[in-house]
Amino acid sequence: MPISHFFLMSLYALIVSLFFAILWRRNRRDQVRLLLQMFLGLVGGALLLAWLMFPFPSGPPAPIP
Amino acid sequence: MADGGSAAGTPASDETVLSKVFGTLVVAWLLPGAGHFLLARRGRGVFFFLLVMCAVLTGFLLNGNLYRVLADQPLTILATLGSMGMGAPYFFLRFYLGYQGDLTSVGYEYGTAFLLTAGLMNLLLVMDAWDIARGRKD
Repeated sequence: MPISHFFLMSLYALIVSLFFAILWRRNRRDQVRLLLQMFLGLVGGALLLAWLMFPFPSGPPAPIP
Repeated sequence: MADGGSAAGTPASDETVLSKVFGTLVVAWLLPGAGHFLLARRGRGVFFFLLVMCAVLTGFLLNGNLYRVLADQPLTILATLGSMGMGAPYFFLRFYLGYQGDLTSVGYEYGTAFLLTAGLMNLLLVMDAWDIARGRKD
């Protein structure tokens, strides 16, 4: 199965966002708002961090014991 | 004030309520979402169950690490407690399937994050069920 880092990251963000939106909010409108805020914050934050780290050298691959 | 007045304040009824609350907590821990289901939040209970199991299944399929305590790594105690928060699925994976995770798998790190998050989410659900059962939350 091909694994995309972006897909897994988005899936993780979706699960966490859904969880907290349903746990912390009662009103449907508030739930959707929190869901979007958290999802976009997580995915956007990760992309921003990746962009900021882009100029840095990646270094040698991690050894597999 | 001194005698408590109502029947709800008697030690026997307090014990009954407490045993019900603790029973709910144990069920909530063992089966994700079951606490909310028992507390008449059935839709939310089913939803939380599906969500936590989705995280567990994804972590399992990605061969993530299912934490266990390692002698020379004290931080694994916390990670193990967090992972055990998922309740029955942890013990099913670890003892029935003998699952450990695969360090060489491409999805190892992501899978570990999913499994650990599933445990932590269920711990939050247990605390939420506690609040609902004690009447502190709607």
